Amino acid sequence: MTSEQSKRPLARLVPGGARAARGKLRRRLSAAVRLVAALTLAGGLYTAYAPGVGRAEETVKLSESAAEGKAIYEVSCITCHGRNAQGVDNRGPSLIGVGSAAVEFQVNTGRMPLARQEAQAERKQPQFNEDQAAQLGAYIQELGGGPQLPSAESLNEEIKKAAGSDKILAHGGELYRVNCSSCHAFSTGGGALSSGKFAPSLKHSTNRDIYAAMLTGPQNMPVFGNNQLSPDDKAAIIAYIQDLNKNQASDPGGWNLGRYGPVPEGLVIFLVGIAALVFATLWIAGKS
Amino acid sequence: MTTHHPSDDEFDASDASLTRFDLVKEGARRDGVQIVHYAPRFPVPGTRAERRIERLLAFLFLLTGLAGTAFVVAYIAWPWKYGEGDSTYRSLYPYYTPVLGATLGLALLTLGLGIVVWSKKLLPEEVSIQERHDGPSDSTEQVLTAATILNMGDELGLKRRRFVGMAFLAGAAPLGAVAGALLVGSLIKAPTQNGDNIFFTTGWDPKYNDGKPVRLTHEDGTPIRPADVSVGGQITVFPGIPHGASNKWADSPTLLIHLREVDAEATLSKAKEINKGSQWENFVAYSKICTHAGCPASLYEQQTNRLLCPCHQSQFQITDNARPIFGPASRALPQLPITVDDEGYFIATSDYKIPVGPAFWERP
Amino acid sequence: MKRRKIDVRALPANSAKAIDERFQAATPLRRLMNKVFPDHWSFLLGEIALYSFVVLLLSGIFLSLFFDPSLREVVYEGSYAPLRGVEMSQAYNTALHISFDVRGGLFMRQMHHWAALLFMAAIVVHMFRIFFTGAFRKPREANWIVGVLLFWMGFLEGFGGYSLPDDALSGTGLRIASAIMLSIPIVGTWVTTSLFGGEFPGEVILDRLYIVHVLLVPGALLGLISVHMGLLVKQKHTQWPGPGRTNENVVGVRMFPGFAAKAGGFFMIVFAMIAALAGLFQINPIWLFGPYKAAVVSAASQPDWYVMFLDGSTRLFPAWEIRFDFFYGDGYTIPAIFWPTVVLPGILTMLPIFYPFMEARFTKDKAVHNLLQRPRDNPLRTALGSMAIAFYVVLLISGGNDVFADKFHISLNAMTWAGRIGILIIPPLAYYVAFRIALGLQQHDREVLAHGVETGIIRRLPDGKFVEIHQPLPSANGHEDGHHGLDYAGWVVPKKMNRLGALAPTVKGFFYPIEKAGPAPKPRQLDSDTDRDREEITSGH
Repeated sequence: MTSEQSKRPLARLVPGGARAARGKLRRRLSAAVRLVAALTLAGGLYTAYAPGVGRAEETVKLSESAAEGKAIYEVSCITCHGRNAQGVDNRGPSLIGVGSAAVEFQVNTGRMPLARQEAQAERKQPQFNEDQAAQLGAYIQELGGGPQLPSAESLNEEIKKAAGSDKILAHGGELYRVNCSSCHAFSTGGGALSSGKFAPSLKHSTNRDIYAAMLTGPQNMPVFGNNQLSPDDKAAIIAYIQDLNKNQASDPGGWNLGRYGPVPEGLVIFLVGIAALVFATLWIAGKS
Repeated sequence: MTTHHPSDDEFDASDASLTRFDLVKEGARRDGVQIVHYAPRFPVPGTRAERRIERLLAFLFLLTGLAGTAFVVAYIAWPWKYGEGDSTYRSLYPYYTPVLGATLGLALLTLGLGIVVWSKKLLPEEVSIQERHDGPSDSTEQVLTAATILNMGDELGLKRRRFVGMAFLAGAAPLGAVAGALLVGSLIKAPTQNGDNIFFTTGWDPKYNDGKPVRLTHEDGTPIRPADVSVGGQITVFPGIPHGASNKWADSPTLLIHLREVDAEATLSKAKEINKGSQWENFVAYSKICTHAGCPASLYEQQTNRLLCPCHQSQFQITDNARPIFGPASRALPQLPITVDDEGYFIATSDYKIPVGPAFWERP
Repeated sequence: MKRRKIDVRALPANSAKAIDERFQAATPLRRLMNKVFPDHWSFLLGEIALYSFVVLLLSGIFLSLFFDPSLREVVYEGSYAPLRGVEMSQAYNTALHISFDVRGGLFMRQMHHWAALLFMAAIVVHMFRIFFTGAFRKPREANWIVGVLLFWMGFLEGFGGYSLPDDALSGTGLRIASAIMLSIPIVGTWVTTSLFGGEFPGEVILDRLYIVHVLLVPGALLGLISVHMGLLVKQKHTQWPGPGRTNENVVGVRMFPGFAAKAGGFFMIVFAMIAALAGLFQINPIWLFGPYKAAVVSAASQPDWYVMFLDGSTRLFPAWEIRFDFFYGDGYTIPAIFWPTVVLPGILTMLPIFYPFMEARFTKDKAVHNLLQRPRDNPLRTALGSMAIAFYVVLLISGGNDVFADKFHISLNAMTWAGRIGILIIPPLAYYVAFRIALGLQQHDREVLAHGVETGIIRRLPDGKFVEIHQPLPSANGHEDGHHGLDYAGWVVPKKMNRLGALAPTVKGFFYPIEKAGPAPKPRQLDSDTDRDREEITSGH
């Protein structure tokens, strides 16, 4: 699978593997250039309004967005993940090497910052907008590298392409059933794991969320790196998931009962079927 | 009921003075039924209340016809093919089955309501009493029947000609066994194949690969290298033999897990005798078939290294020989001994050393 | 030749005559039409099952025209795009074909499935009614046993239907079934390989299951239902005690037209319910599950609800494997799964089958019972039944415990432990509570019979004491001698003022003088209620 990676269209969107070292150097260089350019452009005005940038400059050379990210980090993340993202025992893991993909996933789905320690962080209303998440991601990326996400536009385009082809959609379905359905269920509704942990529902997940989750393996989810599921495979899986979620025609049999399988069906037969028919018997045999 | 009834002979059905209801009552009486209360709901025809009921019934039955017609029209004309037609067609398609259900349901419901209302509101009020006669038959009857049955034995001479009876049984029993033999003999199949118990071998046995060790492959048959699975990742692998991923080898699906360094070390140090040497660097492979009921135990939690089976919630600790730690499973998942061949692909060095899947009587 | 004119108006009479000359049908036909059926809502529950069965036969015949139970590998080329090009068995392919490429096929498939769920649900509810009212007592033990067998036949039939489409869920179910067969001591492996024609899944199982599903079990169901109905006709229906209703008669309406019309109407209503469910609620969306593959599974893999209690018992049962290790050889195993899936159903079959005889023996009751008992009048039975239901419900919930855990954010392990503890303590608790409630209701009935219905009217006596006035009950035979305590005759005791229920005439003024009264209540000690009280109540409102 990996051997063909370079031929596949999405592969070039994703830095990684052998190209990572070269990319890092180039990124550092371009970051410095951009920082200088930004400072020149914005001038003193910028430094006056953003004192964090000044401090960042003193320690590591950070890009402009990474510097913004650092500012956010030091307000919202540092308590648990520690200074320079090295982690705090019993509070939060080190973020060195997790990459911007993991950060953007955790922040964009509202899982981070964590309100309190539980069996598992849950999806909630995100505290930061996507730009801020990207800035945080850039900061962590520049600290320790790691997997990165393709841009939203290119990803969406790939997925649209995948959804347009029956063959790719079907392939995505097969991959979904072998790799994903055991935890997230055939219906994308999620399921329970051991001791209070669970695989979340994918019904409201964005393309990028799903992509990032596969790439980084958040919490107890196994990692499905690009070596295992190529970016094309991932696009096919996401296309399949979104077809189940968004295409009304995948529920042609009426209300889908949340697609939770035989449990709600059993509830319906008693709460609707038997209940209504018992009322019918009361009326039929009744005196009035 | 103390009133005197004429006996059946005294009753003259051709008596012109009898009304039809008199005949009905007499018929019922002969059937052990007494109609003790019988009153029309609307003694005076054409009252407003009666007309109201009639209108209601007419409305219900007309609705039945309307809904039935709607069903037929929708059945023929409503968009019903998945993924066809223009955008209107597609947006209407998901409602095909609901429309059928609603129209047929309405048609049948109004028909049913109409019939019940008819029965409840228009049929005369009636109370009938039927006598039960469910005591035992009278003793003479019992004796006569018993004698008839016992006489059959005498007629056949079962006592006198015991020998013939025995011979009959001796002849009939094998004939009866024919039916059993046909059924059992045709269905029976030993759990062995070419001398091996099929429950003890899987597709990972080199004998299915011309004696060569079997490669771990993707579903499409492509072999797997260590670089194909990231740390904290897992992949379902199949034996690299023809149709290895098909249901013909339903006992062979295996989970290949790339553990973190620390977890891999823990796994190695805890390995039981039978699992020694099965691990390759940080990779372990365990049978995906749950030892409880055979479902694919494949809900892998990469931080806790637990594996959960979704059918009955057995949980296995991957870092400790995949030992069951919760739920109804009592046995560890068998570990597949793996290594990497000269070309850099994963192979199974041998078949599973213990039977995979649910336990059975002969299982050691 | 002159053609003979046919008198159209005389045609029915002449045909009837011709038929009777040949079959002597007049007497038996009239006897059937005059058969009396009692009227009570709870007697209609079994009919739901009967009508569902008719719908099952009709929809099943439709499906069989398009379904092919073969495990032959094919590539899907049908309408459902997300599966196009996927390799699958012919069985799954044709099940998808029915769902997407047969006009109205999905509707019929859903109708078949919902009817199956309703069939089983109605059987269970009907069984509860029979049990709690004591309708299984002599002479109806045999019909009760037939009913128990019907439940298990329906269970088998349902499981077969669930397994046939060969989607990932049904294949997983079959795999568990094979594991259950494997667990049988000594013969397990032989039974499994014989039925599956080799190791799971083999190539023949669906063909065999199909003939079982469409011929053998439906045949057995039809036979059992015929016996069930035949015995009902022969033994006549039970009835609630009440005015004029005795152990030796049946009070109700004649079968035709009154009862038949109600039953026919109810059939249509049941059919309507199934049709509405089939159209409005999606069931078993096999296209989401994909074809069965041994490596594929989904979170929340569940059987249909009527199998779920056994899935629950399997989930709850601890990992207690029994080993026999000898000095030689590898020893032998009885897997843990054997107990909750083979032994437990065995017990759950035998216990109800023998219950009528056990109860008769325990109570030394050899009499024929055609009058039903109110659950409160037999607290022991009611308590035992409640205990059984509690046991069943704990298993049922445990069968879906992963779904409940996920949707209500409870730990899965906690759910399992709750089930394990619950199965031990909830049934005895249910026994105790039901027993106390039955006794309490009895007590209340006795108070009403002795003192009359509470009116809420408080009177002050001359000595300053406050008392509540009770409305005395009319006597059972309608004479105005009701101002002393009545004996309890197993009838419904009125609890609301001026609504005297079954003790009052059903049809005012006409009904009760004719209908014979039940066992006459013996006069009891006089109570404080007087005629004066009664006048006060009736005039005051």
